Amino acid sequence: MQILRGDAATPSILLARAADGAAEPSLSAAEATGAWKAWRKLVKTVSPEEIVRKITASGLRGRGGAGFPTGQKWAACASQPPGIRYAVANGFEADPGAQLDRTLMERDPHAVLEGLAFAAFAVGAHQAYVVVKSTAVVAVRRLRDALRAAEEEGLLGSDVLGSGFDLHVEVREIQGANVLGEETVLLRAIEDKRAQPDQRPPYPAEKGLWDKPTVVNNVETLAAVPWILGNGAEAFSKIGLASAPGTTLVQIGGAVKQPGIAEVVLGTTVSDLVKLAGGPSGTLKAVLVGGPSGGFLPPSELDVPLEPGALRDRGALWGSGTVLVVDDRACIVDLASLMTRFLNDEACGKTIPCRIGLRRLAEIGDRLTTGHARPDDVQLATDLSSDTRDAALCGLERSAPNPLMSGMRYFMPEFEDHIVRGICPAGVCQPLRVAAGAAQ
Amino acid sequence: MTDTLPQVREASSAPDAAIERLLETQTPQRPQTTGTFQVEIDGRQLTGRIGQTILEVCRDHGIEVPTLCYEPKLPGFGACRMCVVEVEGEEHPPISCSRTCEPGMVVQTQTPRLRQVRKTNLELIFSDHNAYCLPPCQNKCPSHIDIPGFLKANTEANPREATRIFKRTIPFPSVLGRVCPAPCEEHCRRDEVDEAIAIRDSHRWAGDQVLKAQAKGEKAPVPFEVQKPSGKRVAVIGSGPAGMSSAYYLAIAGHDVTVFERDPAPGGMLRYGIPQYRLPKVEVLEAEYQGVWDLGVKIVCDAALGRDFTLDDLQNQGYDAVCVAIGCYDTNTLGVPGEDADGVFDGLEYLRVATLGLPFPGHKGKRVVVIGGGFTSMDCTRTSIRQGASAVTLVYRRDMKDMPASNEVHEAIEEGATAIFQAAPTRVIVDAKNTVTGVEFQRMRLGEPDASGRRRPEPVAGTEFTIDCDRVLLAIGQGPQLDWLAKGSDGVAATKNKRLAADAVTFSTGRKGVFGTGDVRVGAATVVQANAEGRRAAYAIDAYLKGLDLDAIRTRQTLAEPQPEFLSIVPFTGELKEPRFRLKSMAADIRNKSYVEYEIPYSQQEAMSESKRCLQCTCEAIGYCDLRRQGIEYGTTLQTLEPQARGAFSFRSVSENRFTGINHDYIRDDSHAFILREPSRCIDCGRCANVCKEVVGAACYDFMRTGFDTLVTTPLDMSLNTTPCVSCGRCAETCPTGALMPKPRVLEKYDVDESRCILCGICVDACPYDALRCGPDFELSHESRESPMIDLMAISSMDRDTEISYVRRERDWADRAAATGRPWPADRLLPMLPPGIANGNGSGHASENGHGPGVNDGGSGGGHAGHTHAR
Repeated sequence: MQILRGDAATPSILLARAADGAAEPSLSAAEATGAWKAWRKLVKTVSPEEIVRKITASGLRGRGGAGFPTGQKWAACASQPPGIRYAVANGFEADPGAQLDRTLMERDPHAVLEGLAFAAFAVGAHQAYVVVKSTAVVAVRRLRDALRAAEEEGLLGSDVLGSGFDLHVEVREIQGANVLGEETVLLRAIEDKRAQPDQRPPYPAEKGLWDKPTVVNNVETLAAVPWILGNGAEAFSKIGLASAPGTTLVQIGGAVKQPGIAEVVLGTTVSDLVKLAGGPSGTLKAVLVGGPSGGFLPPSELDVPLEPGALRDRGALWGSGTVLVVDDRACIVDLASLMTRFLNDEACGKTIPCRIGLRRLAEIGDRLTTGHARPDDVQLATDLSSDTRDAALCGLERSAPNPLMSGMRYFMPEFEDHIVRGICPAGVCQPLRVAAGAAQ
Repeated sequence: MTDTLPQVREASSAPDAAIERLLETQTPQRPQTTGTFQVEIDGRQLTGRIGQTILEVCRDHGIEVPTLCYEPKLPGFGACRMCVVEVEGEEHPPISCSRTCEPGMVVQTQTPRLRQVRKTNLELIFSDHNAYCLPPCQNKCPSHIDIPGFLKANTEANPREATRIFKRTIPFPSVLGRVCPAPCEEHCRRDEVDEAIAIRDSHRWAGDQVLKAQAKGEKAPVPFEVQKPSGKRVAVIGSGPAGMSSAYYLAIAGHDVTVFERDPAPGGMLRYGIPQYRLPKVEVLEAEYQGVWDLGVKIVCDAALGRDFTLDDLQNQGYDAVCVAIGCYDTNTLGVPGEDADGVFDGLEYLRVATLGLPFPGHKGKRVVVIGGGFTSMDCTRTSIRQGASAVTLVYRRDMKDMPASNEVHEAIEEGATAIFQAAPTRVIVDAKNTVTGVEFQRMRLGEPDASGRRRPEPVAGTEFTIDCDRVLLAIGQGPQLDWLAKGSDGVAATKNKRLAADAVTFSTGRKGVFGTGDVRVGAATVVQANAEGRRAAYAIDAYLKGLDLDAIRTRQTLAEPQPEFLSIVPFTGELKEPRFRLKSMAADIRNKSYVEYEIPYSQQEAMSESKRCLQCTCEAIGYCDLRRQGIEYGTTLQTLEPQARGAFSFRSVSENRFTGINHDYIRDDSHAFILREPSRCIDCGRCANVCKEVVGAACYDFMRTGFDTLVTTPLDMSLNTTPCVSCGRCAETCPTGALMPKPRVLEKYDVDESRCILCGICVDACPYDALRCGPDFELSHESRESPMIDLMAISSMDRDTEISYVRRERDWADRAAATGRPWPADRLLPMLPPGIANGNGSGHASENGHGPGVNDGGSGGGHAGHTHAR
């Protein structure tokens, strides 16, 4: 996918060393541009506590969607009673169409491995995993090549660089449903068990892989770690927002002139992202921020900065970091019920609100688009969403009502057209027009 | 007391030795420590032990938190989301089964928000729960008789047991076997195969066998153990079905019961309202009432409330409770001109004379018109025929299908009556002496459905017609006589509909210790409804006499009575067709002259074969089902006996579930010898899967598929026989609903005549459960099912065991290092490895498989220097 470059002032952390997609990123070439430099320097000289301290000071937050401070997570894992620990890099990019993590792993696998090495070092893990979707074949191959090269170089493996620290990394290919992106599900998948989430707490930092303390980070988070440790926590914390510093990858798609992936600082507004992709190709109607379980934002709300808290307040989600631009040819009701049905089909089926509740929510969506809406359907969907969120087990379940809820929040007139007047303004919901015509 | 308990134990410092580290990492997940701490749950200061979950602390202190997927043997699973609790300072409510309780937590278990979440969960479950608790027949019976139960006893030729089961809910199987309109039969699922079971005739047979035995001196069976005398006295006013039913269960509960009856003999409407040909008085009614007198119930006849005594009198005489069950005896009036003419009679008055065996004066040869469509009008019609009326015309204002006594009208017509539907009287035509000469009727049209669900009749102008007659019998419904309310009964009142005001669940009137039940409370109804009312009132009165809170009874009564409706269910298709065995009866032209019972009862053979037709479509888990219990508690999808809505027996049903939508129909799997699987009842809690995997080690079940179609089932939905099932039954034991049940089965023990065995071994090959095996001496040896279980446990524990997996990865890494020829230090392996692998000499296993560590410097590695094994 095309990399969109902003103006030169935008700092580049994640994709700084990324070659163009075709070239295999060899270790020597990567080392020439600074890869493994921090690892070579720090692994023998610095204590794990110092690493945790530096990451905490940098203010790095997880890029997996929840935005939990990475330093805190590592510290929680490191403070567990002595014993076996694990480190896991989550490269399972669950949302359909999202290619951010895959692009990162293809272009700079060394950054991911180096960041994972630091995470393992910080918490005292001797075994680490990089989990990748098995369809991302290029990413898997390049990660494996990079891993082999690093082991041969002594950067990973037993007695890393003579420091006495052992670290064995394994690249795991996993295939499965959307819910695998959730960290406890991912851990079950590594254990070769059915991909179903576990209740948190206890968090993986306390009880993760095979019930041992485990630190799970998104590959994007890990790729920023070597930069922070190389350039200093202070330099990192000055980039972007004070509450959530650093840069992140976003993927802008849908009705834009130039879809692609961009590295932006946190706090960039959504409207800036749309501009970065060349602006909307048609009349901008809404922007779906956060993938299928994200929220629809109307043009008036596009000043929202890319930051977990702000997005949540507006009913959207950071999620996978995808931004889908919707033009006026699309029907929000149709899109929202499509998303809900997708999420239900992809659910693991463990909990009742997710297995049956999301299905009922999707059925309500179907009723709206097919012209069979009942008068209390909006209220019912709202009540059900609120109860589902309260009873939710995992993040997928908690965010699944987002599309319908944000749709109702910002596009109520369009919903009312479907329910009360029996028409679809965008002309997408065909059966509805037939049903309305038959009624007249 | 609690502050003397030890405080929270400090975390121990890290052990030094590697072996202690290993032990530390392998300590149980939930340490059995004695350290305690204080938490606040529902405003109570409670003591929890370290490592306990919130749920465990709650259960230790008797706080009920509902769960469906929680299995006490295993860590919390978190699938059902029923055990959510609110913890102060947390945005989303955590689930208590997997949340460790921490010191100083402030927990709420029953807030409105939590109840709403749980209720929504239950509603969602019920929206995809294609099953029911009670079979439809039992559900529709006003008294919820265990119909499959007594039919099963019938098939075993055990009428005494069948009667006993029947008497658990209604004390009079023979009476009801003659007079019940059998609402159960309308809902029988045998109808999906051929025809409904003759349920009424079946309990009639069972009851009659007991009556025959009673005539020979045997006592009637008593359904429950009679309790020790309580010393409380109860007065029951009225000896009809409601009063006697009430007296029966109160006597069983150990109370001293006296029944007061207005008439010279007990029976109420059963004796004075139902003719001899339908219910023989001596052979059936009195014989069956004998079962009540046998329990020590006393009867006072010729004593009427208001005439001979008042409520004040009874309570002054020391009765601790009074149950008013006086029924409905005031016939409604037509409200048309000429109603007071000579020849217009109250149907009940007419029947009262007729049932005494006396001919009604001057009835013979007269032309009679009966107005009304209920059982009283039918009895008037058929009795008039038997008394020699020259022409009997029955007129009803609605359609025949809306007639309460529609099943009896055919028999009346056979016997010679004329029936006219959709006509209502406009006036009674009289001659100069104010004697009836005819009745003018007007045709009725059926309009919109009314509150009872039947279409409301509306008069059509200009359709008047006249029927000439000499006598008119009015049978258009009755109301209770409430003139006694004025005298000595303060605190008891009538409702707007002129019924006795009494609660639908606790039956209490406004006056302490006075209860009202039966027709006097709900208006004229069927015998079976009156019986049900009487029994439920008996339970309420018993609770009152024991000093329980009447509001608490409300819950208990609700727990005892209501039933869920059911959705579409997989119809029975594979059953053999075997039509219903109808009772033979006398020819109409013989029976219309006789007061003898005209139906010929079943023989034992007939009763048994009819009972065998029952599909026993009941849920075997009833009484044990957590889902049902919680559904009742949270008021989801269940009938409730709330009096305010829709008449006396109102209910909320699944069809009112907010979330009704697509649901699954799964097929029952009864291929396994001991475990019956009914996936439609599965709520996907995963308990069976977890218990099978973690406790038994067999792993027969797991979650299959994703999304809405997720189901906990066997791999590929195959029969349990194809899984490593060891028939231990733990899955059926842990199932919160009836999805997995132990099959009812008589285990037989087989004897082998070894002198005749030729050791062919065919039995060994054929046994599906490996119960037989060839022994070392080529003799049959009896083997337990232990062996497969142990193997599976070993395998599954290996998978779970972190240390072993860790060792495996270490070995793999060592192999790879050896293959690439890269050096690595001898002390590289972590000291926690088991000695067989860590030390170079290795165990036989490690060496044989080439998994010894490659140690290049030849130092401490012993015999493995220069290991170059490639895989």
